[in-house]
Amino acid sequence: MKWKNNLKKKQVFIFCLLLFLCLVSMVFVTNNYGVYDRPIAKVAHMEVTHSEAEIDMNGNKDRLYTQKLIGELKNGKQKGKKIELTNSYTKSKAYDQAYKTGDELFITIDKSKGKTLKGTIQDVKRDKYMMAGFWTFLFVLYGIGKKQGLFAVFSLAVNIALLAGALEIYVRTGQNLLLLSGLLVILFTVLSLLVINGPNQKTYAAILTTLLGTFASISITLLVMRLTSENGLRYEEMQFLTRPYKTVFIAGLFIGALGAVMDVAITITSSIFELWEKNHDITIQALKKSGLEIGRDIMGTMTSILFFAYISGSIPMLILYLKNALPLGYTLSVNLSLELTRALAGGIGIVLAIPIGLYISIFFIKRKRANI
Amino acid sequence: MNTIVVLAAILLILMILVGGAKGAKSFIALFLNFIVILFTVILMLNSHNNPVVLTLIACIGVSAINLFYINGINNKTVIAFVSTLITISILLLLIYLFAKKAMIQGFSEEEEEGISIFSLHIGIDFVKVAVSLIIISTLGAITDVAIAISSPIREVFHHNPKISRQELFNSGMVIGRDILGSDTNTLFFAFIGGYMALLLWFRDLSYSFGEIINSKVFGAEMLTIFCGGIGIALIIPIAAGLNAWYITKYVQGEETKQYE
Repeated sequence: MKWKNNLKKKQVFIFCLLLFLCLVSMVFVTNNYGVYDRPIAKVAHMEVTHSEAEIDMNGNKDRLYTQKLIGELKNGKQKGKKIELTNSYTKSKAYDQAYKTGDELFITIDKSKGKTLKGTIQDVKRDKYMMAGFWTFLFVLYGIGKKQGLFAVFSLAVNIALLAGALEIYVRTGQNLLLLSGLLVILFTVLSLLVINGPNQKTYAAILTTLLGTFASISITLLVMRLTSENGLRYEEMQFLTRPYKTVFIAGLFIGALGAVMDVAITITSSIFELWEKNHDITIQALKKSGLEIGRDIMGTMTSILFFAYISGSIPMLILYLKNALPLGYTLSVNLSLELTRALAGGIGIVLAIPIGLYISIFFIKRKRANI
Repeated sequence: MNTIVVLAAILLILMILVGGAKGAKSFIALFLNFIVILFTVILMLNSHNNPVVLTLIACIGVSAINLFYINGINNKTVIAFVSTLITISILLLLIYLFAKKAMIQGFSEEEEEGISIFSLHIGIDFVKVAVSLIIISTLGAITDVAIAISSPIREVFHHNPKISRQELFNSGMVIGRDILGSDTNTLFFAFIGGYMALLLWFRDLSYSFGEIINSKVFGAEMLTIFCGGIGIALIIPIAAGLNAWYITKYVQGEETKQYE
C-alpha cells in the first residue's frame, strides 16, 4: 500500500512539474518579442482592398487578394508604434498567407519619411503554435501512455538532438555522415534498450537483431542501387543541398530502416523469450512456429507505417506538378522515387528482422538450456 | 532495370518466404494502398472536391484494405475499423486547428528554387491539403494499433470470461501502452530519416535557432510528428473502450448463455 502511495505521489509530482513547465514556456513564447532581433508586428486591423479572379496558363482558376494591414510593433526601438503593411495572397495559399487581426508577423521596417511607418512582411511568428503543439503532444502521450508515453517523447527529443549533433560534426570535420549518424543512433538504441529491459539476454538478442537486420537491409538496398545503376531514382528533390546528396539520402534511409527494424526486433525477441519463460520444455520447433506466426502478423502493418509516413509528404508536390499539366509518370518518378526506395528498404529490413530475431533468440535460449 | 522495381520484387519474395500466403497478401495490400492514395491525389486535382473529405474516404478505403483484406471481416476487425475512423475524425479537428493557426500549408521559401517554374495559383486549398498530408502520414500507424489492441484483448477475455468492463478496458490500455512505444519509434525514425536533408540545410543556410523554430518547413515537419504521436496515443483508449464495451455487452452474454 505504502509503495502504491509513493507511486501516486511520484505521478502527481511529475504531472505538476510538467504543468508548471508548460505554463512557464507558454507564457514565455507568447511574450518573447524582446528575444528576437527581427521586428515583430501584431496585426491590429485588416482590410481586403482588392480581389480579382485569375486563370493561369493551364486554365486553373484561382482568386487573388490584396490586404492592407495595420500592425503594432512589439519590439525594437519603435515598439508600440503603428506600421502599415500590405500583403497579397491567393485563395489556394500554396506559397502565401492570408493574415487576420491578432496574427503576429516578422517584418522588416522600410525607411520612411512620412509619419506612418511602412514595412514588408517576412514570415509568421510560429513559435507559440509549435510550443502549444509540443505540449498537446506531450500531455496526450503522458495521459494515455503514462511512463511509456513520456519515454517516447524523451527518446524523440534525444534522437533529434543526437542527429543534429552528428550533422554538426559532419559539417565541421567532413567525417563519414553514414558512419556518424549510424553510430550515434546505435548508441542510443543500445542505451535505451538497456534502460527499458535491463542488461539481460533478451536485450542482447534485440540489439544484435537490430544491428544485423539494419545492416542486411542497407546492404541489399545499396547493392541493388549499384547493380541497377540507380535507374529510376531521381534526386531532384534533394538538389538544393550543396553537399553530396546521395550520402545524405542513404544516411536518412539507414535511420528510417533502423527504427522499424528495432521495433520488430523487440517484438520478436521478447515474445520468443516470453514463450520460453512460461514453458522451459517448449521445443525449438514450436518456438520457430510461434515466432513466424507473430512475424507474419506484424510485417504487413509495420511496412505500411513506413509507407504512409514517406509517401504522404509528397502529396503537395504531386498536386502542383499535375496541376501544371505535367504527365503522371514523370510526376510520380520525380516526386516518389526516393520515398518509395526508403519505404521498400525499411520493409526489407522489417521482413529480414523476423527470421534473424527468431534465430538469435533461439541461439540464446539453446545456450541457456545447455547451462541448466 | 529500375531500382524500385527490383527492390519491390525483393520485398515481395522475402514477404512470401517469411510470411507465406499472408506475406503475399501484405504485399498486395501495400500496392492497393498506393493505388488508393494515388487515386485520392488525382481526385484532389478537381478544385470542387474538398481534399479533407476525399482523405476521409481514402482513410475508409485504406483501413478496409489493411484490416478486412488482411485479417478478414469479423467483429474484431470491425471494431478496429470503427476505432480507426473515430480517432481519425478527432485528430482531423486538432490538425485543422494547428495547420490553420500556424499557417504551415503549401511550400516554403526554402523550396522556392524547385517550384519557381510552376504556376502556384492552382485553385486548390492548400490548408486542407496540409491536413490531408498529416492524416495520411499517420494512417498506417493508427490502423496498426487498432488491430494490435483488438486481438490480445480477446485473448484476455477468453482466459477470464467473467472479467468486468473496467478490467477489460484496463488490460486494453496496458497492451496499448506497450505498442505505443514501438509504433511512435517506427514513425519518428522514419520522419527523422526523411528530415536529414532538411536539418543539414538549416545548418548550411546558417539559420539561427529562432529562425528554425519559426520557419514554415520546420513547423510543418514538427506538427506532423506531434500529430502522428497524438494519433497513435488517442486510438489506445478508443480501441480499448470500444472492445471492452462490445465484449461485455454482446460476447459475454452469448457465452454465459452457452454455459446455461
